Amino acid sequence: MKIAIEHPFGKKMRIHERLIEATLFGFALLSIVITLGIAIILIRESYLFFSDPEVELWGFLTGKEWQPMIGRFGFLPLLNATLTTSVIAMALGIPVGLFVAVYLSEYASDKTRGILKPVLEVLAGIPTIVYGYFALTFMTPLLRSIFGMETVQIYNTASAGLVIGILVLPMIATMAEDAIGAVPKELRLAAYALGGTKMETTFKVVIPAALSGLSATFLLALSRAIGETMIVALAAGAGPNLTFSPFEAAETITGYIVRISGGDVSYNSVDYNSIFALGLILFLITFTLNMISRKISRMFHQEYE
Amino acid sequence: MRKLIVLILVLAAFAPLAAGGSQEKAQPAASGSTMAWIEGPSVHGLPGVNPLKVTGNIITAGSSTVFPLSERMAERFKEEGYRGNITIDSIGSGAGFERFTVAGETDIANASRGIKEKEIENAKKIGRTPIEFRVGTDALAVTISRENTFLKNVTKEELAKIFSTAQRWSDVNPAWPAQPIQRFIPGTDSGTFDYFAEEVFKSNPEPLLAASNLQLSEDDNILVQGIKGSPYAIGFFGYAYYAENESALNIVAIEGVEATAANVDNGTYPLARPLFIYSDAQIMRQKPQVAAFIDFYLSYVNEEVVRVGYFPANEDVIQKGRTAWLEAMQGLY
Repeated sequence: MKIAIEHPFGKKMRIHERLIEATLFGFALLSIVITLGIAIILIRESYLFFSDPEVELWGFLTGKEWQPMIGRFGFLPLLNATLTTSVIAMALGIPVGLFVAVYLSEYASDKTRGILKPVLEVLAGIPTIVYGYFALTFMTPLLRSIFGMETVQIYNTASAGLVIGILVLPMIATMAEDAIGAVPKELRLAAYALGGTKMETTFKVVIPAALSGLSATFLLALSRAIGETMIVALAAGAGPNLTFSPFEAAETITGYIVRISGGDVSYNSVDYNSIFALGLILFLITFTLNMISRKISRMFHQEYE
Repeated sequence: MRKLIVLILVLAAFAPLAAGGSQEKAQPAASGSTMAWIEGPSVHGLPGVNPLKVTGNIITAGSSTVFPLSERMAERFKEEGYRGNITIDSIGSGAGFERFTVAGETDIANASRGIKEKEIENAKKIGRTPIEFRVGTDALAVTISRENTFLKNVTKEELAKIFSTAQRWSDVNPAWPAQPIQRFIPGTDSGTFDYFAEEVFKSNPEPLLAASNLQLSEDDNILVQGIKGSPYAIGFFGYAYYAENESALNIVAIEGVEATAANVDNGTYPLARPLFIYSDAQIMRQKPQVAAFIDFYLSYVNEEVVRVGYFPANEDVIQKGRTAWLEAMQGLY
């Protein structure tokens, strides 16, 4: 929203005010230009891939085997692995993150908040490569000791997914807390006035009222999980594998991109071009999720006066 | 106050430009007279190297198999006084040649296979003529976890089945357990992958890549982790990585022949292959540090190669490299 301010003395805007405005506008423009640039490069390079006579779009979208070097271009195994890790991550991240947020905004005393918040922020600041090794050296052995060495392979999507869940947890908790905190105090007071207990107020009034912000949060976290790279590259596996077992190794879209772009393939090969096509798909997925999240937050947005 | 903010904003906007401008500092031009590093008695016909007097950086990239050897040689080069920077990227032989012959970004390409005709052509296009220097021999190690109790020896035929169509171990040999085979192999552009496909699948990588439960990685440590992880896992990589992880892995004999120095040297071990570094006369003459490093490499590689986990190449073929070095540098020293 733009608020026009009439200058009280009718003076012209000073020259350096203009300068500031122009500079800020320049930076805003820059971010758009960069985004456009990325999209253009992705589209151009993926065109190289799809224009390869061996590749057909339908086969790409429905094929069950991905091994570009020998002409197998079905990207379902990669997509499936990406979805598996993301769903596992969400299954951990959403409930835990939501409960943390509810606790922080509705129940915690200022003192506990003062401790818990910084701890969460520390969690958010850990580099993902560290999370990757955490998955490989802690989560995987843990899973293997619970479910057995035979069932759980050394590289598996469950371990990577759970650790991504931990990774997005601070993000979910912080954003969900903001969403819950934005619910007007009057709503809570009204619920109490009607005889609601604290729990009833929280879960039947506050959370539904914060739904728009919450769903936006979850979708953003999901697109973060889908795009996560280092953890899956280290812990999920390094070979495309169409499996529904979370205990088997399977390579995700990002994992494949990182393996191929790690410098091990010549620039003009179909393998190399394929990573741009996959990048484009990732871009489209996260872009769509972000758009939906914006839509939802507008759709459910309620004005409380 | 406001003026200050304006100033900061303007500076922030222009800072990247200014920085970009000053980054383009001219490299000190290499001249023919910087062969000051030649000092001391000659070693096997090559001039003696004094690393203390070598200046300038060296960029190398290529095979992950040659990597530990080049790394060791670079370390020794530094221990003896070299103060420049050596970059050694472990990206696979193919990618190493790509950078050397197409992009022309590197001074030396490490390779665990000979250069291909097409790669030489590419190099010619950017004015480079690759010179081959043999530095050692690698025995490709087929390894399994220490917990694997059923596999001691395989034939080449069994090897081909294990790494392609077989789903379970029992599909290859009924005496082996009916458990899925988990495969861990080097990435498709590594010389190790090429070599295995060549030896075991007659140069056709298709069956190897079409196998189920397949993990590919250019990072040999990922493979080691994976193979360690299950008694039903199997994989292969350069012998040095086996030597480094001897306590966690078992090596499988091929056709009854174990990978020992004697068997590699007399050629009975079926999966032994040469290790090379490549450079170009032009680069060696323009960048004396590159010539110095290769000189140093060829002079002392046989003292280090065993410690790294590989096998020394035949003295004759190393001597060939030394002769090539002398030819490339003719008239310069």
